[in-house]
Formats: sequence, C-alpha cells, structure tokens
Amino acid sequence: MMWYELFKFELRYRAKRAETYVFFIFLFLFSVFGTDFIFQGVELGKVKQNAPLVIAKTMGAISGIFMIMASFIMGVPVLRDYRYQIESLIFINPIKKRDYLIGKFLGSMVVLLFVFSAILWGMSASEFMPWQEENLLLPYRFLSYLKPFVTIVLPIVFFGASLFFVSGSLSKKLLVVYTQGIILFVIFLLTKAIKNEHLQAILDPFSLTTLTAITKNWSVEQRNSLLVPFDGLVAENKLFWLALGVMALIIGYNKFHFSRKKKKNKSSKKPIEPKTLETSVNKVINIPIVKLQYNAQSQCIQLLEHTLFYIKSLLKETSFWAIVLCGMIIILVNSVNLGTSYGVDSYPATYFIVEELQETSIFFFVVILMFYSGELIWKEREAKLDLIFDSSPISNLIHLAGKFVALVCIYVILIVALIISGLLFQAYNGYYNFQFAVYFYGFFLEILPFLVLYTFIAFFFQVIFNRKLLGIIFVMVFFILNIASEFYGFQHSLYKFGGKALGTYSEMNGYGHFLVPYLWLKTYWLVFGIILLIVSSALIVRGTETSFLKRCKQLRSRFDKLSVRLLSALVVLFVSIGGFIFYNTNVLNEYWTINQEEEFRANYEKNLKQFEHIPQPKIVNTNLKLELYPETREYYLEGCYLLQNTQTEPLTEVHVQKLIASDVILKDVTFEGGAAKLDMYDRYNYSIYELKEPLQPGDSLKMNFIQTFTSAGFEDGNGSTKIVRNGTFFNNTDFPSLGYNRKYELKDEELRKNHGLPTRQNKASITDTRNLVNARSGSDSNGTTFEMIIGTSEDQTAVAPGALINSWKQNGRAYFQYEMDRKMINFYSILSARYAVEKQQWQATNAPLNEPVALEIYYHKGHEYNLDRMMKSMRQSLDYFSSNFSAYQYKHLRIMEYPRYAAFAQSLPGTISFSEALGFVFHIRDETDVDMAFYITAHEVAHQWWGMQVEAANVQGQHFILETLAQYSALMVLKKNFPDEKVQQFLKMQLEDYKLGKTKEKELEVPLYLVEGQDYIYYNKGAINMYALQEYIGEQNLNIALQHFIADWRSDGGRIKSCNKRYATSKDLLGYFRKVTPDSLQYVITDLFETTEPIDNYVDR
Amino acid sequence: MDKLIISNLSKSYTNGINALTEVSLEVPKGMFGLLGPNGAGKSTLMRTLATLQEPDKGSIFLGDIDLLHQKNEVRKILGYLPQEFGLYPKVSAQTLLNHLAVLKGITKRNERKEIVTSLLHKTNLYDVRKQYLGGFSGGMKQRFGIAQALLNNPKLLIVDEPTAGLDPAERNRFYNLLSEIGEKTIVILSTHIVGDVKELCTRMAIINQSRIVLSGNPIELIHNTEGRIYQKTIFKNELAAYKKEYRVINEKLFLGKPVIHILSDTNPANGFVPVKSDLEHVYFSQIKKNR
Repeated sequence: MMWYELFKFELRYRAKRAETYVFFIFLFLFSVFGTDFIFQGVELGKVKQNAPLVIAKTMGAISGIFMIMASFIMGVPVLRDYRYQIESLIFINPIKKRDYLIGKFLGSMVVLLFVFSAILWGMSASEFMPWQEENLLLPYRFLSYLKPFVTIVLPIVFFGASLFFVSGSLSKKLLVVYTQGIILFVIFLLTKAIKNEHLQAILDPFSLTTLTAITKNWSVEQRNSLLVPFDGLVAENKLFWLALGVMALIIGYNKFHFSRKKKKNKSSKKPIEPKTLETSVNKVINIPIVKLQYNAQSQCIQLLEHTLFYIKSLLKETSFWAIVLCGMIIILVNSVNLGTSYGVDSYPATYFIVEELQETSIFFFVVILMFYSGELIWKEREAKLDLIFDSSPISNLIHLAGKFVALVCIYVILIVALIISGLLFQAYNGYYNFQFAVYFYGFFLEILPFLVLYTFIAFFFQVIFNRKLLGIIFVMVFFILNIASEFYGFQHSLYKFGGKALGTYSEMNGYGHFLVPYLWLKTYWLVFGIILLIVSSALIVRGTETSFLKRCKQLRSRFDKLSVRLLSALVVLFVSIGGFIFYNTNVLNEYWTINQEEEFRANYEKNLKQFEHIPQPKIVNTNLKLELYPETREYYLEGCYLLQNTQTEPLTEVHVQKLIASDVILKDVTFEGGAAKLDMYDRYNYSIYELKEPLQPGDSLKMNFIQTFTSAGFEDGNGSTKIVRNGTFFNNTDFPSLGYNRKYELKDEELRKNHGLPTRQNKASITDTRNLVNARSGSDSNGTTFEMIIGTSEDQTAVAPGALINSWKQNGRAYFQYEMDRKMINFYSILSARYAVEKQQWQATNAPLNEPVALEIYYHKGHEYNLDRMMKSMRQSLDYFSSNFSAYQYKHLRIMEYPRYAAFAQSLPGTISFSEALGFVFHIRDETDVDMAFYITAHEVAHQWWGMQVEAANVQGQHFILETLAQYSALMVLKKNFPDEKVQQFLKMQLEDYKLGKTKEKELEVPLYLVEGQDYIYYNKGAINMYALQEYIGEQNLNIALQHFIADWRSDGGRIKSCNKRYATSKDLLGYFRKVTPDSLQYVITDLFETTEPIDNYVDR
Repeated sequence: MDKLIISNLSKSYTNGINALTEVSLEVPKGMFGLLGPNGAGKSTLMRTLATLQEPDKGSIFLGDIDLLHQKNEVRKILGYLPQEFGLYPKVSAQTLLNHLAVLKGITKRNERKEIVTSLLHKTNLYDVRKQYLGGFSGGMKQRFGIAQALLNNPKLLIVDEPTAGLDPAERNRFYNLLSEIGEKTIVILSTHIVGDVKELCTRMAIINQSRIVLSGNPIELIHNTEGRIYQKTIFKNELAAYKKEYRVINEKLFLGKPVIHILSDTNPANGFVPVKSDLEHVYFSQIKKNR
C-alpha cells in the first residue's frame, strides 16, 4: 500500500503547515460575513438571508472567489518535490507512478476538503452572530447548508482540485499555481457573454447563472422554502464540470512522467562548453580598475537600470501576456454595458468604454498586484541569488523602489493594451470620435493611483511577513477590511487608506470640481505610501537574518542617510498635506460622521414633528434674482415670496426652513409689517417668525430674504453636484421653504427603531384628509406665479420656467429674465451650462389661432444624435395630448440636458430636465430597438398634464395618477407613431421589469390605486394595465374619461378641485374610468387597479 | 594594505547551536585559508564577513572600517562568492553580470561594459555570454560566481567552498585565478579540503566546533609536527585497539587495507614508520584532538 504511505505523509506534512490553518480560518471568517458581504447592495426583498437559494448562491460565489486557495493547495504537492530538488531521491525509489500520484492527490484533496468545509461551518455559524436580525432569517436548518455544500460546492471543488493538481504537476511552475485559480474565474466571467441561456447555465463553473435560471419562476415562498434541487440544469451543470475534472485527471495521469526536470526551452540549446580557463590565464587579461560611484546621480542610474531589469524579467512571464490577452479580449467578447437603459445601448463614447474597461480589468490589475509584488520581492531568494545581491552595496531603498517602479510600468503596459482594445472596440462599432484624454484620465488618474497605493501595501506586507503566501493573503484581507470598514463608519479620507474614488466623468463637466480634492488626497496617500516603502526597505530581509524582531533591532543601522533624510522630509510633507486637507474638509467645510448625521435627523424629527401640520401661509408669488458663479461654484440669491393666508383663521407665525447645509446661508429674512425671530430651533436651521400683526384670512404679505451658497476649499469626497462649472442643475427645494420638512427624517426602519422613532409611512393613507390638501409633502404652495432673473457666466445659458422675456450681457456676465404668466406648481429647476440650442415651433392643430409654442432643446455640443427624435416626440405628444386631453398651458416647452451625475428625466413647468446619461447619447437602431428617446420625451411631455395641470394628493395612489397616466399617454403616442410590434416589444420590457421588481419586493404587492413608492408597479405594471384597459374599453373612451378628469381636477380652476379644496386621488380617477366602462367590463377595472390579480391574464405572452 | 582583524566573534543560533565561539583572527593581504570540517562554523564566519549575518558579540575591522556597523562601506569593497547560489535561468550571463555591476555602483555605462567584457574573458565565459544561465554547467556557474565577485575590484574577497563540485582540472584553473587576485587583495577561502589550502594559501586557520583551533603560516604549522607523525598498515580488526593505544589522527585505505597515521612525540616503534609531516596531519591532529 505504497500510495497509502504517501497519502499519510502528505497529511502529516500539511498538518504541520501554518498555511493549512490560515486558509481554514480565513475562509471560515469570510463565510461568517459572507452572506452580508456578498449581498451588500443586492435587494433580497422578502427572500430571507438564510433561504436555501441564497445560501447556495453565496456558497457558489465564495467557492468561486477562493478557487485560488484550491490552487494553492492542489497545485503544490508534486511541485514541492521538484522545488526542494528531492525528486531524484524520491523517484529512484520503487514507487509506482500510480501510487505516487494517487497518494499526493488524495492527501491534498483531504486537506482541501478540510479547508473548504470552513464555508459550511462558517456560513451556518453566521446565523447565530449577534448582528443578525431574526426577522430576516428563517428558522435554522442545517440541511439548507449541507445540501448546497454537497451539490454546488463539492463538484466544483473536485473539478478545481483535479485541474490544479494536474496543471501544477505538469508545469511544475509556482506561477501557474498562483494564476490558474484566476484563470478559472476569468472563464466564469466569459460565460456571462454567452447569449444562450441554457448553455450559459451549464458552463458557469460556480453555478450562479444556473441557479438563477432554474429559480427564475420561483415565488418568494418557494425561494424561502425549497432546497435547491439536484436535477435538470443543476445536475447537467455539475456533471459537466465533474466530467471535465475526471478528464483532467486522466490526461494528467498519462502525461506525467518521473523525469528529473522538464525539458529546457528550445531556445537554449545544449550549452556550448567554452574553452577552458587555461587559455585565458595564459593570455594576461588585466581587470580594469572601475570607479564605484554612490552619489545621487549614480543612484538614479541604479534605479533606472534596476527598473528596466525587472520590467524585462516580468515581460518574460507568459502569465503576464495571458492576462494582457484576457484583458483585451474580455471587452471584445463580453456584452458591454454602454449606459444601456430600456434595452437601448448608447454610442460607444470613450467614457463608457473607459468605465467598462475599468470594471472588467480591475480584477486583472489586482491579480497582477498581489502576485507579481510577491514574485518581485522574492525574485532573488527564489533564484538563490539573494546572498550575492545582499552583499552588494546597493541601497535597500533603490532595490525595492526599482521593483516598485517596474511593477507600476507593468500596470502601464496593461493599461496601454486595454486602451488599444477600447479603441479597436470603438472602431469596430463604427465610432471614430476617439478621446485620448478621456482614456488617459480614466486610467492614469483613476486606476493607476489606486494600484500604486495598494502596491505599497503589498510590498509592505511581503516584507513584514516574509512569506509570500501570507503576504498575498494579507493584502486581500486588508483590501476587504478597507472596504468593509466603511460600513462601520470609517469614512474620512484622511484615515481611510487611499481616499475615495474620483467622481463621475461627464462630457458636460469633465471631472469638474472633483479633481482638486482627489489629487490632494492621492498625493497625501502617495506620500504615505512612499514612507511605507522606505520603512519596508529598512525592514526587508538582507542576508540570513529573517526573524522579524532581529530585523526590527537592526532598523536603526539600516536607515542610511538618504533614507533618513527622505523619511523625515516625507513625514513633514505627509503631516502638512494632511493638515491642509483637514483644514479644507473639517474647518472650511463641515464634516459629519454617519452617526452624527443620524443623530441629527432623529433629533430633527423629535423636536419639529409637532409642526408638521400647523397652518401656514402659502406662497402665491415668487420673485427671484439669482447671481450664479459656475466657475467658483457659488451663488447669491435675492428672493421675495408673497405669502397668502388661505386658512380660515388668522396666522401669527411663519416657520421658515433653510436648506440644512453649512455652506448655504440664509440672511436678512424680513416680513412686511415686521416679525420677531424665535431661534430655539436654529440648530435645525428652522426659524419661527412671530408676525407683529397677524395675517388675516385672504390677506397676504411679502417675505424677503437673501440666500448665499459658497464653496470654500473642498469637502471630503466629491461634494455636491448641484452647482458645477458646466451643467448646474438644482431646484427650488434648495431655497427657503415653509414648515416642517419630511425629507430630513430618517428613512431606514432599523435606524428609526434604534433612535426610538415610530414606523414611518412612505405615503399617507388615501383616507388621510390632512394630506389630501397637499400635492407634495409639507407643501408650502398651491401654485405660484413666478419671475426670475438669473445671471451666470458669459458663455453659459441659464434656464428656468417661464417665457424668456429679456436677456442681456453686463459686466462680462449673461443675464436671463423669465416670467411665468400663469400659476404654476411651486417646484422648478434652474440650469446653467454652455448650451447649444435647437429651436422649433409647434402650433396646436385644434387651435390654429393660438400663439405658437416655442420648442427648444438645450443640449451639450456633440450630443446631437437624437435631437430629431426628441423634437418629433415633443410635437407628436403635444398634438395627441392637446387634442385628446386638454390644451397645452404654456407658451414654451424646453428640454435641458444636465450632467450624468443622475440618470433621470424630470418634468417641471414648461421645462424638462433630461440627463446626459439618458436619451441624448442613445444609439437607437430602428430595426431592433424601441425609440426610447422618443418614448421618454413623450412620457415627460405627458407630465405637463399629469403633474402640472392636474396635481395629485400626496397620499397612496399619487403615482398612479402622475406616473401611470404619463406612461399611458406616452404609450399612446408611441402606438400612433410606430408599428404595433414596437409597442409589443415595449410592453414586454415592462413585463420583465415588473417581474424583476416583484422578486425584490419586501412587502406584499399592493394594487395600483394604493401604490406608494414601488416604481415597478406604477411604471411597469401601470403601463401594461392601462394598455389592457384601453384595449378593453377603447382608447377613445379612456381619453374622454381623462378629459373629464382634467376638467374637474385641474389645479387652476378645476370644477371639483375649486370647491373641494383638496387634490385628486386615485379613487377619484377610477370613478372616471368606471363611468366610461360598460357594466359588463367593470370587473376589469377592479382586477387591473384595485386588486393584485396576476398580470398574465391581460398580456399576450 | 589594511588587515582584517576579527576579535572575539561569537554567534549562537536560536536552536542553541554555537556556530562561532570567541573567534579572533588577523588576516593580511594574500590568500587566507579557512579550513574546517562541515558544520564547524566556516560558513557562518564567511557570511558574517560578507555582512549577511549579525554576530552576537565581537567586532570585525577592515582597516578603519567597522564591518559590523558600516556594512555598506564594506560592501563597496567586498567580493563574495557564496557556497551555494543560483542564477536567473532566463537571463544571459552578460545581462546578469551587467546588472550586478550596476548594483555594485559601476554606473558609467562604458566602464561597466569594459569590466564586464574583461571579466567574461578572464573567466572564459565570453563565448557563452549571450547564453541563458539556466543552461550553464556547474563549472561555468562557479566561474560566473567569481566573475561577479570581482566586479568592483574588491579589497576583500570571500569565497566559500568554491571548489565543491568542480572536477580537478577545473579546480586548478580556478586556483590560478584566485592566486592571481590574491596578490593584491585579502582573499579568504573556506574549504574542508586540505589540498586547497596547501596549494594556495600563505596563511591559514583551522576552525573546529565553532572555535579557531590553530592559525598561522602553513609551512610553519607543518614544521611544528615535523618528526612526530608515524604511519602503519594494519588489519581492520586491529583498528579499535590501535585507537585506544595511540593518538590516531588519520586513517585511510591503501589497497584495501587501513593505513593509520599517529601523532607521537617519541618513536612508538611497533612497526610504525616515520613519515614526512603534511598539512593534512596538522589538520587532522587538530580535528581529532578536540573530538
């Protein structure tokens, strides 16, 4: 039983190795946190955290991430014999190949199973951790863990084990062992590109796609209760990988030979033994006298030569070129997400490509970072050249710095390769507007500093631990901790390693104001990194003393003059930059920790909730003068509100809420007739003004104020994206408002509980009469007239609602005066940017005598792609809505583009703010895509009716009126202008989105008419059900119902609205539907809107 | 030229083994042989001299340079050929030698080229300078080792067991090279082969069980045992008895029969015949004495 001896030997050997236990403990701990960590940010909805499906997926993911450990364990047993060069001792013994391989394989396999069982123990232990909340968990069931471990994890572990064992044994190269786990992971990523769902499910080694596929149609209850079955797709998937594993073993077994060494490269032929030494000794060769130099210049030369040497050596690694190739291919193969929304891709603009490349390549970079840093640090010692190196007079710092710079150059080479593949991708897609600067910034400003900083860490750990594997593992641990610590409140960039990511790039605003603080912080951490490198250079093993303590003792003598001088200069620099950053983030600006913010919000509610429903006057006229300074990101606002008492009792107090932000200052608040300010709530920027003379019902008074916004220095992180250099976009919620503001309340139920606050309802109940009088939360107006003058940079155009009645230039600034001739909702936005404008006119067909409406699109130059589609949509929508619902109320309709810091379009009086990320850069292929630029525009135009003409009470069902009707309206315009197949395609997308949303739902699905914040109901289901309704009762009838609804409930003089003094609810709307519906079909309305009947009954599938 | 002065050097390892005990030596210019059996502490001493290891106590001075505390000063004038070393397999001899020259501070490109070329000639590796080191034979590797040790015109050259694994011819050539260098430099050669020292060194020391047991000029040392060495051919089964009675310092086989050498101040008769004293006798007398 020779194999048994080898088996036992392997086990005994491993039992003595620290690595075995480190792996186990690491995997155990990771698994304890695994579920929380992996599903961070993914909505589980009502599916519990320990549902069998979730456990199975988590296990799949963890085993995928840690395949690399399997490689560490399985790749080395044969290799080890070669590395310690005892193979000839072993192989001359009468061991059969079979016994040798079986013993080694089984021995390592047992160790591997031991290590991977940590997933099982760790995950099932996680349920009992103190931070778990019982209501998110199902009762504990060990089988829920055991079964997926056996069916999901073990097969792939076997496959990995077989593959890694074979490749490690055949290649006999450590680097293969290190990289093959990653290659498997890359294969996993590549399977995502496969379009065929069935094939993808079978090829996914970690079964994540497989599990998603088989449970696609599972209900929440099934997801929570059913164990993942081992049949069908799962079985096929697992058997496929098991078979591959067996195949690998068979091939490996046949290929393996007891040879002393693998064959030499063909390039190195049999060495020519040169003439013997004798000949040379006979000739007298004088060894020239050399001048050894140790000045700064020669040290620079040493650094340079060193760097080049290591670059060349890394470039000789096949693995590097494999990574480069993978990195380049993955973007060409993988389905690239080009800002895709609603199933439509955008043009492959450079920033999209850069973002995609960043996302897919970061994995490769991290791999290079972790492993090549280890390779480099250990290069001399692995070649046993260390004693020769160590006895040379090279400074440790130069030695280490050379390796460091070499690794950085390797990143740069990969970056260049990625950029080339990005350019190829763009060219392949027929897009030739290459923006090299964007490529450069995306990689050299965003990715490279991150890599450089973590390389410092990797070098440091390699030096400290002086074990390659431990170093690599601790880099991983550090990486994870640095990210995870954020969730525990460690957020300030001054102590969070590396600082924060750079803000989003926008074609309108570039990197805007994000860049300066970002560069300061990177410099700060870079200096820290260099300090770390110098410390590492003083601690690195030189000679044969490896104990950490001994190295520490030598520390003082290790610091040569250069290092000491450098070090002290750098520490001074580090502290100074840190001080400067602190001054900016915490002195010039206010810095709030998460806890402080929570505390503040909780106290705000506790102190001020009492005022939520106190009677307040309403704003009926707004007059603003805004001086906007985009360059310095500041503004100065002089405002005047006309406040009217619409109540039946006199009012004595006006409550003014300033925007809670330290850089916004509200001053000189005065009231006509005078008022005294009570400042007990100053802490919440909430002031109560006691009017000298009470405001009588029906009377009104003026409130004047000045508000300023200043940006001093910079904030931690990216700061606000409202006022920016090009593409300012903010709305009047930044201006003073009246009364209590619900938006400052804590929303997370868990946090609320911790702070002793009651449950918060998203929307008030549909029967809550106090809220029926408000169209928005805490509404301080029932409609206002509006006048505004905006001054901005000379090259920018500022846009607000109303007709542009005047514009002029003065003192190198541009001024725009807007005036709204009728009442509008008190919700408007202000934009300013260097706009190009597309102008047209529209004349209502049913009112040819009316003044034509000015149609304008304010867009960023270069974003002309879809202007025609948007223009067409505006016309068609105005046509349809004005002839079927009611006349359009304004003399203008504008679309304004704003930077892609957000990705929505929003309709406000006569104006539509439209994100750069949406519509403007869609690459709509008419054969395959729905014209979403057209549709979104139509939807937003519809809001000029649903939201601007008719407002809905701020209660349940509000979005049924506002959003669902806008969906219906847009859908009708789509139907009129496009063939039916496009409409069906659109409805199918809605159905998919609805189903997706439903699986994430945490509560029970509500019927449409009671919808609160669930966008999958009011958008997706809403569109489908309204479409069904018009099929049942006829488009014409439905439009008549809507016509009446508008006439009765419009905010300015609606028939019922005026006498009821409240806003419309979904119940009111359903009444109009019922009126035009024959008795025989009344049930349809019940089914579609008042119940949660399965949607399938109404949609052709 | 300055002397290398080693005083009271001691070193013990964490496992309790004493590697060096109160080692004191003076090494002048020329070839110095450090002779001792395996495990005597030779390599520890050599590594300490090569600034790669810290002693527990003691001092080493090379002229004014405090070798234990001014390591980088020493490294500038140090050449070191370790007992065991490897080379990057995928790099050519010329490239690696050039790289090592950079490390040693030869930063002028043409100077570097000159010395690399001449050393490649000197060690007769010039013809294979472009060949990957992975394909080098043991002898070539060793020659490369000496070439790199000579890059910086060292004043102190430390060669640790350089002849291990070399065939006799290769070894002789190696010695020629060393002795040429020894004319201008302190060369410390450690070995467990007496012949190495005999042929090369003007001064020597014997180290055994972590201590220097003898040092001096080889000829003088041989002279000290002159006339005290006797030889006899015996039978195998008699060996134990002879060992009891005489101070047997060496035993070897000659035509299959044991020949023993003993150290004795008087003529032991009993079939022993006097033989000419040899360095080997000096060495073995020291080794055996302490055993």
